[in-house]
Amino acid sequence: MTAVQAKGLTKKYKAKTAVDSLDLTVEEGELFALLGVNGAGKTTTIRMLTCLSKPTAGEAYICGHKTASESAEVKALVGISPQDTAVAENLTVKENLTLAARIYGFSREKTEQRIREMTELFNLGEVLDSRAKTLSGGWKRKVSIAMALISEPKVLFLDEPTLGLDVLARRELWCAIESLKGKITVILTTHYMEEAEQLSDRIAIMTGGKIHAIGTLQELEQISGETGLENAFVKIAESSMGGASV
Amino acid sequence: MNRILAFSSRNIKELLRDPLSYIFCLGFPLVMLVIMSIVNQSIPAEANMTIFNIENLSAGIAMFGLSFVMLFTCLTVSKDRSGAFLTRLYASPMRSADFIAGYMLPVLVLALIQLVISFAASLLATVILGENTMNIGGVLLAIVMLLPVAIFFIAAGLLFGSLFNEKSAPGLCSIIISLATILGGVFFDAESAGGIMLDVCNALPFFHAVKAARLAVALQLEDIGVHLLITLAYAVVFSVLASVVFRSKMRADLA
Repeated sequence: MTAVQAKGLTKKYKAKTAVDSLDLTVEEGELFALLGVNGAGKTTTIRMLTCLSKPTAGEAYICGHKTASESAEVKALVGISPQDTAVAENLTVKENLTLAARIYGFSREKTEQRIREMTELFNLGEVLDSRAKTLSGGWKRKVSIAMALISEPKVLFLDEPTLGLDVLARRELWCAIESLKGKITVILTTHYMEEAEQLSDRIAIMTGGKIHAIGTLQELEQISGETGLENAFVKIAESSMGGASV
Repeated sequence: MNRILAFSSRNIKELLRDPLSYIFCLGFPLVMLVIMSIVNQSIPAEANMTIFNIENLSAGIAMFGLSFVMLFTCLTVSKDRSGAFLTRLYASPMRSADFIAGYMLPVLVLALIQLVISFAASLLATVILGENTMNIGGVLLAIVMLLPVAIFFIAAGLLFGSLFNEKSAPGLCSIIISLATILGGVFFDAESAGGIMLDVCNALPFFHAVKAARLAVALQLEDIGVHLLITLAYAVVFSVLASVVFRSKMRADLA
């Protein structure tokens, strides 16, 4: 079943086109990476898919629901962890998780159950009663993702989930994200090649608001004629700047 | 309702865990109550200045304390709007009405508690000073009379927090707090001043709120209605305005 579909999705800000006629299909349970440099249009794409921004043209569907006209249904199906850590700073980790569950209408019992599950998944036990503002960047990011996941979304959007984290925190977060594989659909944006390579089932290479190639690592290597994601990315990105789509 | 309660609970915790909210909303007004009561002891009776008498001061100080509620509402909203936290909530099933109620209701509860503490301190002061100028019935009525101006301040906080960022919003609130104190006749007798000053005071809700509360404390109920109606009108207009502006800003953020 298709979890996410975009057809000709476009976003323009006056003269600037942030996302240009994007076509995309992500299947249920897939871990899909939007890989691109800064300003490629990754965050704008995620904003349109999560009803945070209206497309200038084109359509997007989440589990068959159109984002433009069925935003309430779409919002109930998606979870997002924005690029900037989105936690309530004066609340404890447990209170943040409770807030995220309650706004999705979870009962007290269900909320407690989901908090236990998130605590286990992200190893949050030791910080559960700590206020968010006292946590390191890595912990905050884990809490932010746990908040996105607590509502049992069908599709989880992670916008640059490991940006600014040290190598250990990054690896730990990768383990948590990898454990979601096959359980829910995950779309993550990143500009780290290693991250896309390590985590994703399929990767879309995005520059200048356009997707220039989509496929598994092997398929991208085949398309570009290069070995390794970094080389494949550079080749495809350079070709796209020259105007040709690989 | 679940969403409003969850969001209200978050907002009330954010406020209660900020030590500055205690200093400004409770500490500062109570210190002013003590200072002005001491000043009043030094004013000779023949000066016929009754504005610092505890029964008059209590109403003014209570309104003065409420004005800081605007500052903290404004700060909460503007901080949320500048960070990614609101982005997360915008992507959730929360609607604009949930946000508006979630911001306003918990602060209204806090404002009510603030009023009770403020008047309780005034009642205690009358006992200490050996005066018999305030009674529980008048105080309870005064609290009711000040609720519309509490709503006005909360709505103003939501309005300014929606319109301005967290750097400029506090400055604007400070100006309004100063105006509310001066034009509310908290520390000067606006009626004796008369002229344009009284006209300006009469045009704004602060003076009417203080006047209604002072009349309530004195249990002089004949003229209370007009003052209550004026503050109520301001509360309604600002609540509607704040809701409209918040909705329109939310729509713009999601455009």
